[in-house]
Amino acid sequence: MPIVVWQLVFFVFPLLFLLLMSFWLVKNYRMVPGFDSVNWIKMYGKGYFWDGYWRTLGYAGITTVITSVLAFPCAFTLAFKVSPTVRRWAMFFLIVPFFTSYLVRIFSWQIFLNDNGIINVLLGLVGLGPFSMLNTFFGTVVGYLTLCLPLAVVLQLISLSNVDRRLIEAAHNLGCGSFRTVFAVIIPLAKIGIIVAAVFCFILSFGDFVSPYYLGGSKPPTLSILIIDTTKSGQQWPRAAVVAITMIVTLFTIMFTAIALAYRRRS
Amino acid sequence: MPTNPAQPLVLFDHVTKRFGLTTAVDSISLEIFEGEFLSIMGPSGCGKTTTLRMLAGLEEPSEGDIQLAGERINNVTVSERDTPMVWQSLALFPFLNVIKNVEFGLKMRGVSATERRQRALDWLERLEIADFADREISQLSGGQQQRVALARSLVTEPRILLLDEPLSALDANLVVRMQGVLTKLQKELGITFVYVTHRQSEAFAMSDRVVIMNQGRIEQIDSAKGIYRNPATRFVAEFVGANNILTGTVIAADELIEIETPAGRFKCAENSDHTWSIGDTTSLVISADLIRLSTSAVNETNEMACRFISEEFVGSIVTVLAETPDGADFRIQLQQRELSELDLNVGATIYVRWDSHDAHLLRDTT
Amino acid sequence: MIRAKAYDGLFYFYVALVFVFVFLPILTSFVFSFNSERFPTIPLGHFTLHWYTLAFTDADVWDAFRVSLIVSVSVAFIATFLGFCTAYTDYRYNFFGKSAYLALSLLPPTIPLVIMGLAMLALLARIGMSGKIISIIVSHVVLCSPFAMAIVRMRLAQIDPNLESAAWNLGASQWRTMREVIVPFCAPALISAFCLTAAVSFDEFAVAWFVSGLNKTVPVIILEILQGNTDPRINAIGSVVFVTSITLIILAQIIYMRKSSRKTLTGF
Repeated sequence: MPIVVWQLVFFVFPLLFLLLMSFWLVKNYRMVPGFDSVNWIKMYGKGYFWDGYWRTLGYAGITTVITSVLAFPCAFTLAFKVSPTVRRWAMFFLIVPFFTSYLVRIFSWQIFLNDNGIINVLLGLVGLGPFSMLNTFFGTVVGYLTLCLPLAVVLQLISLSNVDRRLIEAAHNLGCGSFRTVFAVIIPLAKIGIIVAAVFCFILSFGDFVSPYYLGGSKPPTLSILIIDTTKSGQQWPRAAVVAITMIVTLFTIMFTAIALAYRRRS
Repeated sequence: MPTNPAQPLVLFDHVTKRFGLTTAVDSISLEIFEGEFLSIMGPSGCGKTTTLRMLAGLEEPSEGDIQLAGERINNVTVSERDTPMVWQSLALFPFLNVIKNVEFGLKMRGVSATERRQRALDWLERLEIADFADREISQLSGGQQQRVALARSLVTEPRILLLDEPLSALDANLVVRMQGVLTKLQKELGITFVYVTHRQSEAFAMSDRVVIMNQGRIEQIDSAKGIYRNPATRFVAEFVGANNILTGTVIAADELIEIETPAGRFKCAENSDHTWSIGDTTSLVISADLIRLSTSAVNETNEMACRFISEEFVGSIVTVLAETPDGADFRIQLQQRELSELDLNVGATIYVRWDSHDAHLLRDTT
Repeated sequence: MIRAKAYDGLFYFYVALVFVFVFLPILTSFVFSFNSERFPTIPLGHFTLHWYTLAFTDADVWDAFRVSLIVSVSVAFIATFLGFCTAYTDYRYNFFGKSAYLALSLLPPTIPLVIMGLAMLALLARIGMSGKIISIIVSHVVLCSPFAMAIVRMRLAQIDPNLESAAWNLGASQWRTMREVIVPFCAPALISAFCLTAAVSFDEFAVAWFVSGLNKTVPVIILEILQGNTDPRINAIGSVVFVTSITLIILAQIIYMRKSSRKTLTGF
């Protein structure tokens, strides 16, 4: 029971307040409560908002696809081609980085991807490059991957491990080649895990600001960076609230759609 | 086991239990006496476990009263009743070792540490597992865990012990051994055991009295022998033992009752209080092991010509399946050597007969 | 297992690549924290503890560690407690509105941290509570309770359904059963949840950044340093943070694995 109280007070309420705040005005660097949709109109009228919106959506979408695709062979191998002990240890070590030191890892990537960084130095030895990787979309994606890949592998792995082996054997028995089996049998059966993994990737990359900021050059900005800029430098909290609410609505829509898709037509 | 007909230890007075729209227990009345070993038996869903749980306080009766030692306990909570139970899954505490498990009940009653350790050890010795006192539960075998569960329930020296199918998960040979342990324990302690099971063999082997339940109602309460020889209802006749049931109408009601059935006319010496009139519908029950078999007619009363179908060996006893003249199943149990002497072929005609005093009429023919 | 084939080697190599991708940044940070060169690149300089001393003689850094410690331990206690209550309620009772109750408890991880930070800051500033340590604690509890709840709930799923009844049957009141049976049974999950929530809180930067004001936690300090020029102190601080977090996570997993029948936190 206490958790309901806590969550209501400290979780639901602040978000509702955010919604409320989006209708307030800013006069002389102070917020004035009121009910005015000027913030919404202004924000939605700005080109850079919509640029940011579609960009963030696009980034998150691309990242989700890339992460899911990159995670799958790894999850597949761990689910089907290693002993249970190895699988357990792999899970153990994948869970660890998920919870720790995102910032530090991003910083390290800065070192790596820098024009004078390790990768370019190594490439230079072979006569290649230097490639500009920092402050580009590539850098942002690397950052997102750092955030999402372990989680995607773990979630896909859980789902794949629960696939009934006998169904796979039956498929082989009926003449399905290994490669086809993957697409025709295994993926449909593990559909839910794959979709859940994708949903989490999307949520994380949609809302993250560290990767685009420190590895992607922060310009042009994603929605998360927009929020930070609007609050930290502009003190335009109501405007930031507009961005935030839009993000939440988008996320919820995508989440529910994905889950509805996942649970439809279960064979 | 001394019985005290003046006051039963436990009394169920028209107790009903409903779960939503389902009636699990339907107005049962039952007396349980001090010092007896009582089994409640029946098929799955008959309400036996619900009855036991109501006695323990884990379910509340929808209607009716339950009394323990003369006092109404409907509103007494589980923790306050002294009705320890041995669970089917044993429900031993995995985070406590053996002796701490056994001490648990005493600890809850505030018994001092030294005293409860001593009493727990005494019980472990009594059940011959004192060597395992410091072990973890997971290190014990199934039979040993059973004994720990027993010790844990008995350490508080209750007047009554409830057992919910405790032997269901054990291997066959272990079951026989544990049955011996339970019977011996009950006799030594002299306390009441209420034992729930779906297995006939367990109930009959250990109990003083057996309660047969079906669909929430009590069909019969009697000693094992009584149920076996004099089933009161059709359900009991079909559920217990191997009985043959022939339904028909009474055509004569003198010293011997004669009934007319599709398979023929039979006579029965009825010794119950019920008076039969001509025209009554009834069923005749004759146990398969009281039937004599021959290859030629002897022309006694209660003789019937049947067609031999098959035989089924269960050790030294064999069950013969035959077909009555009107196409119904008929079972005969006899010794294997008797059967081999008859040398029967499938489809052969055999003559079955029985004594009028061995048959039994059912009042309830539903 | 599917029949082993010749190109299985490729698969294993791929998995190795993934692990390299995940762990390389951590390792390099660790390595460079001991490197004498200011700018981290190869070839390496010589071994030195210079950056560590520099980082940890800074009063701000020490303060940040102090704040982080207070916050993460407090959060761990509160979140574990709340998580336990929720998990137990879910296990034992079925009531009207249960789905909504569960959804509410498990929703926080789906909201981007930036937004949470903004929302919390906005509200707390309004009631004059921003910039205080307690605000960080409160925000983090919201984020971490779902993890605690999930861990305890998984443990409760393993309990013999009759265990509680057995305790009552033997004379234990509801309260005593909670104390003597449920809590000891959940002990590995509780410790595990404690370590995990402490680690998550210790590491969380976004919400802390918004809400902490002058009471900065370590990740916030890291963020601030990051915004400046390349400062090798980050490697030193980051390595310490990483070692702390990873110790907690590993502890959480090991305790859970040893004391329960499940092999990993996710149940293999």
